[in-house]
Amino acid sequence: MISIQTPPQVLDAIQTAKAGAKAYCTNFFPVESKLQSWIDHGELSAEWHPGAAFFFRADRDFRHFYFCAADQASLEQGMASSSGLKAGQVVTDLVGNEALLNQLLPGLETAGFRKHAQLQRLARIGRPETSGNTPEVGFAEKGDAPAVLSLIESLFDRYGEQLPLPYELESAVNGRQVLVVKLAGELAGVLFFETQGLASSVRFWAVAGKFRAQRVGSALMQYYFQIQPAVRRFTLWVDAHNENAIQKYRHYGYAPDGLIDHVLVHRTTL
Amino acid sequence: MKSVAEILKEIRPEFDFTASSDFIADGMLDSFDMVTLVSALDKNFGISIPGTDIVPENFQNLQTIDALLRKCGAQP
Repeated sequence: MISIQTPPQVLDAIQTAKAGAKAYCTNFFPVESKLQSWIDHGELSAEWHPGAAFFFRADRDFRHFYFCAADQASLEQGMASSSGLKAGQVVTDLVGNEALLNQLLPGLETAGFRKHAQLQRLARIGRPETSGNTPEVGFAEKGDAPAVLSLIESLFDRYGEQLPLPYELESAVNGRQVLVVKLAGELAGVLFFETQGLASSVRFWAVAGKFRAQRVGSALMQYYFQIQPAVRRFTLWVDAHNENAIQKYRHYGYAPDGLIDHVLVHRTTL
Repeated sequence: MKSVAEILKEIRPEFDFTASSDFIADGMLDSFDMVTLVSALDKNFGISIPGTDIVPENFQNLQTIDALLRKCGAQP
């Protein structure tokens, strides 16, 4: 396994796997800026197999596994001989529609992965009507980052929900992507979002336990919509079994768009 | 055979791709959409877009996608 130093190394690896592919399959969808950030922070490594390139991204005390393979057989043969999958805790995401995932899942299970969680993507097309004042909502400041991260880490699944690392959160705070409500000097709630042009995604929406049922979450979501006048497509990922959260998002007009994420952990992680 | 515009419309029906000169900057295609689009273009035009060409600048607008397809031997 080698450490990735430049984005072209990644593209070359993808090219090697994709050349002559009959049924190319992948779970690697890197955004250019994030790819560069992972490389800059020394988080990305790779290994090559006939017809397949595997990438590993360090995250806390485990690694995310990404694959690019010419076909399912190349993927399965690569996983069987992968040293990276046998070293430490490994988590992967299978993203796609149900039919595609059902094709790939048995091969990953044979390679030692087990289902850990299932997320579904919800989307809202068009900007919602917003109403009401939300004076308690503001952008997080640099000093809020530790409390925001602590709240996110306490409420979300570290394997399944792509929790930000401290540097990512600091960058998001500086980029005015994190909304907070503070009550009595404490962090009551947070909404972490990413907007690109006409599209915006909520990464985390959370209210601390002692501040629930005080309309903190509602204020955050209302404010979020108010400051996104140009956005036409809102998305987010949610635990497919968390009916309470799904109901809340439905209230704001979100609905499943057919994309599913099976979060799998390798047997060495269990 | 479908046109590029038709394929894009199937992936993201809510957007008017003819009105944008930069699909990525305008948020009309996310990273997952890009991979879906490459797969659809490969299948539709009977080509294999090289991994090294799966970069945002090749998917900025209808003209750059058209140029990429021609480079890969397709007749869009």
